[in-house]
Amino acid sequence: MSQTLALTRIESKLFVREWTGLFFVFVLPIGLLTIFALMDDGSAPTDGIPASFLPTMAIGIGIGILGMATLPMILAGYREKGILRRMSTTPVRPVKLLVAQLLVHLAAGIVVVALIVGLGALVFGFELPGSPVPFVLSALLYTIAQLAIGVLIAGLIRTAKAASIVGNILFFPSMFFAGVWTPGDLMPESLRWLRDITPMGAGMTSLQESWAGQWPSLIHFAALIAVTIACVALAARFFRWE
Amino acid sequence: MPAVPSEGDLVVVSNLRKTYGATVAVDDVSLTVRPGEIFGILGPNGAGKTTTVESIAGLRTPDAGTVRVAGLDPRKRRTEITSLIGVQLQASELPERIKAREALELYASFYPDPADPAKLLEQLGLTKVQETAFAKLSGGQKQRLSIALALVGQPKIAILDELTTGLDPQARRDTWELVKQIRDSGVTIILVTHFMEEAEYLCDRIAIIDNGVVVALDTPGGLVDSARPEQRISFKFAGELDAAVLTALPAVRSVARDGDRIVVTGNDDLLVEVVVELAGRGQPPRDVQTEKTTLDDAFLALAGRNLEGADR
Repeated sequence: MSQTLALTRIESKLFVREWTGLFFVFVLPIGLLTIFALMDDGSAPTDGIPASFLPTMAIGIGIGILGMATLPMILAGYREKGILRRMSTTPVRPVKLLVAQLLVHLAAGIVVVALIVGLGALVFGFELPGSPVPFVLSALLYTIAQLAIGVLIAGLIRTAKAASIVGNILFFPSMFFAGVWTPGDLMPESLRWLRDITPMGAGMTSLQESWAGQWPSLIHFAALIAVTIACVALAARFFRWE
Repeated sequence: MPAVPSEGDLVVVSNLRKTYGATVAVDDVSLTVRPGEIFGILGPNGAGKTTTVESIAGLRTPDAGTVRVAGLDPRKRRTEITSLIGVQLQASELPERIKAREALELYASFYPDPADPAKLLEQLGLTKVQETAFAKLSGGQKQRLSIALALVGQPKIAILDELTTGLDPQARRDTWELVKQIRDSGVTIILVTHFMEEAEYLCDRIAIIDNGVVVALDTPGGLVDSARPEQRISFKFAGELDAAVLTALPAVRSVARDGDRIVVTGNDDLLVEVVVELAGRGQPPRDVQTEKTTLDDAFLALAGRNLEGADR
């Protein structure tokens, strides 16, 4: 346990020292929130876009970057540079490093949510999430699903560079299916089922619904849990320490 | 060469074999390491040195043969072995932004009875750069940090793989002194290298590995002797020299002329006999040079080519 704690402490310091990661995970979502919030003067038609779309999109992107970019890059890089191998010559089991990384990324996810909800309420006048418990549950399930995707990428891809390319390739269709460019009713009805079940779509939609004060439909939760189980199972099969 | 393990041997490798697909990395390696020595594993790139020490450290499962460290199977007794052996691996790095002190403290937390990180940093001359990120350390500093990490668990055995590759001559010399200090503090060292000079300077015994087999295992002096069992001197001589004068001496085996020098070979008494004889005749040899046989010569004689792979 003390080994995991020592690792988590160091890994969180290293995470905070990596400014490119910090930019994409924290600054980019806040920037998006700020720009779109300033552009919206309330005069344009809403097109069925819920008020909660903007903050949940920011959360969705920030946590999506954690799972699809920073986590697999760090893990694949550690393996590529022999850091995991070096560690396996000590009494510590390398799985503790994985646990430490997951804890650090989970904490970063919580910070993203807190920043967006806090800034949204204090600066841009958004209402706080209407159903806090489903909201927290949605955020948690979405974060865990994204981290599972990240571990799977690191399991299938050998180098940090390739992992970042794969992360990017996954990231843009994820945003598309999540309706980042076609929010609310703008997304063609024939595609909306994808928004319900792709990880980023399911995460953002359940966050939106709970922000609006409803219980999100269970299909989103089911989709997130299914993705998590599938990724963890595959990662357990393919992940190599060296 | 069959190794005969004795009671006190710390590491016993018997008929180790390891293949990766069709590539035979280690064909048949047997060796023993005694407590308190610096044991060198010397050979050209790709000879199987790293695979051998990785098997000793328990990072590889042998295809055949056995490895025992302090009587334990390194693959099965991970907890004991990882505390017993400190490893400095070739081509293994640390996260770029981790500071030297943080890395050492982190690794210290992995072990049940670690050394004091601050003391270790001081011993290895890293105190000044303890707050420097790994990526910003010089090659020599990275190497010393890597040694510190290998020692932080207070191991009985330290495996140092290609320790000085890529270091400048001064840093290499400094590292050698450090290795001697570590041995003097009671740690047995297994040193993997492809530098003859390094092996000759540091090692108590050396296993020469080539193409996955041990071609020789002896002290540096023993290897040299077996490679060229004769002495060789050369000198200049004023006037004509009758070769028969020298060949009549018991120590002399051959006499030859090489340009303006005379080259004489023979046994250990060669130098004294030749100089005394010629001086006695009132014509002492000038510019006498004795040729030292080196480990390079030994390797050439044993493996049939030099360490860079050029054929004899």
